[in-house]
Amino acid sequence: MRAVENALGITIPENARIIRNIISGIQYVQDHVIHFYHLHALDWVDVTGALKADPAKTAALAQTISDWPNSSPVYFKAVQGKVKALVESGQLGIFANGYWGHPAYKLPPEANLMAVAHYLEALEWQKEVIKMQAFLGAKNPHPQTFLVGGMAMPIDPNSQNAINAGSLALMLDLAKKAQDFVEKVYIPDLLAVASFYKDWASIGGGVPNYLSYGEFQQDTKSNTTNCWLPAGFIRNRDLSKVEPVDHKKVTEDVAYAWYKYSDDDKKGKHPWDGESTPNYTGPKPPYEFLDTSNKYSWVKAIRYDGLSTEVGPLSRMLVAYASGHKRVKEVVDMVLGKLGVGPAALFSTLGRTAARGIETLVTAEMLPVWINELAANMKKGDLKIHSGDKWDPSTWPAEAKGYGFHEAPRGALCHWVVIKDKKVANYQCVVPGGWNSAPRDAKGQRGPFEESLIGTPIADPKKPIEILRTIHSFDPCMACAIHIVDKEGNELIKVRAK
Amino acid sequence: MAKIAIDPVTRIEGHLRLEVEIDGGKVKDAWASGTMWRGMELIVKNRDPREVWAILSRI
Repeated sequence: MRAVENALGITIPENARIIRNIISGIQYVQDHVIHFYHLHALDWVDVTGALKADPAKTAALAQTISDWPNSSPVYFKAVQGKVKALVESGQLGIFANGYWGHPAYKLPPEANLMAVAHYLEALEWQKEVIKMQAFLGAKNPHPQTFLVGGMAMPIDPNSQNAINAGSLALMLDLAKKAQDFVEKVYIPDLLAVASFYKDWASIGGGVPNYLSYGEFQQDTKSNTTNCWLPAGFIRNRDLSKVEPVDHKKVTEDVAYAWYKYSDDDKKGKHPWDGESTPNYTGPKPPYEFLDTSNKYSWVKAIRYDGLSTEVGPLSRMLVAYASGHKRVKEVVDMVLGKLGVGPAALFSTLGRTAARGIETLVTAEMLPVWINELAANMKKGDLKIHSGDKWDPSTWPAEAKGYGFHEAPRGALCHWVVIKDKKVANYQCVVPGGWNSAPRDAKGQRGPFEESLIGTPIADPKKPIEILRTIHSFDPCMACAIHIVDKEGNELIKVRAK
Repeated sequence: MAKIAIDPVTRIEGHLRLEVEIDGGKVKDAWASGTMWRGMELIVKNRDPREVWAILSRI
């Protein structure tokens, strides 16, 4: 959408800008909390360990780290009872298929019980707070109200059939609820769990380059650099310098990806000239291993200035930190201080997971600010939500090119479009999961996932929980804990001693 | 040295497969493979640019 707006020279109205920020904001907060508790926590939290906890001691622990009201011995005893019933039934349900009892689990039983309790609370919480997106986007996921030129929704404080004063008040309530949970549950839990896993502050760093396109636009200029979370590129972990982002430095080669370029698979192409012609050369399934000396992935080797580059909350927080973003700096320094580690600890699996929490906190704090910004604009009588002057294709040039920067919760996302004769002539999406899971490039440089695993200690190759910790820390959108089974529950992991 | 494959690891844009070589209790080398074709770029070719966001916001 931003790519098409950019190509056609469309400027969106102020209200559309603010609403897009609020939708992105609540997505960050909900996605990150779900990721921490439901996709990542069980790499660190042993659910079965929670059974050994003393509920009174768990309550004491919870009360020392937060004033969240659900922290009595009775409450934790009830949660423990739920887990016990699950384990005894032999049907672990949402907790099935974990590496329970693995020696890499380090939390005391009480911390395990506290985290499991909050896992369950977070499930309830997330379905409430995302109603904010239901107001503004009609549904979640995949909001329906976007429109080239703005948003497809009425706003009017005095209408029953529009975003009105009542819906703004309800959204402020949800924002408060979102912020409370992040401040009083997520962040204290993150710090408590991280304090037992400080060795992971030197594991899983991976590639040393970090990219953010910038998000939460503060003006309506297309691909503006005036963003609340700044754009920038950090090269070789040098936090003393943030380079401006140039979309022309993004390239993709397919030396190791199952595509065929019309000229040379090894040549990095800018997405405006991108090609996506499939060319599967891998083995016929079922197979044991891929031939990784040749093409081995459907993901292209996405590079920035020729370099393998990480995207996501860690990249955004590093760019913000290095750019002197006041609030990000305060919270990053607070987290580093509480864990007793220096900024170098950010370049790690633990750093990636901590950065996501930091981003959630600072974003949750902004939700009421942005909702009030929308309210103030509406109060002034500005109800414009869409710029339609270039909606009619007869107003378009014969040929146009555009790109649209976005920072999705999982990282830098940009679409590139070429429009010819009112139709899409070429389109390329370069998405966060692609950046991070990219394969080797023509020069043989590993992608971020690949590089982050090098040197990771593995206690038991049959239960590679350490690999999952690092890969999950990137938030590659994985189903909770069901990482290596197929839909019939058969284990798919293959282990072969060479 | 052991080589392991974890497949699928993830559901982002389909599935993620990892192949990992382990030597002396540490990861020596790793390969990440997206095992599902996306093809969204080809779907939107020749379409009206005003409607592509609705198709592509799925990824």
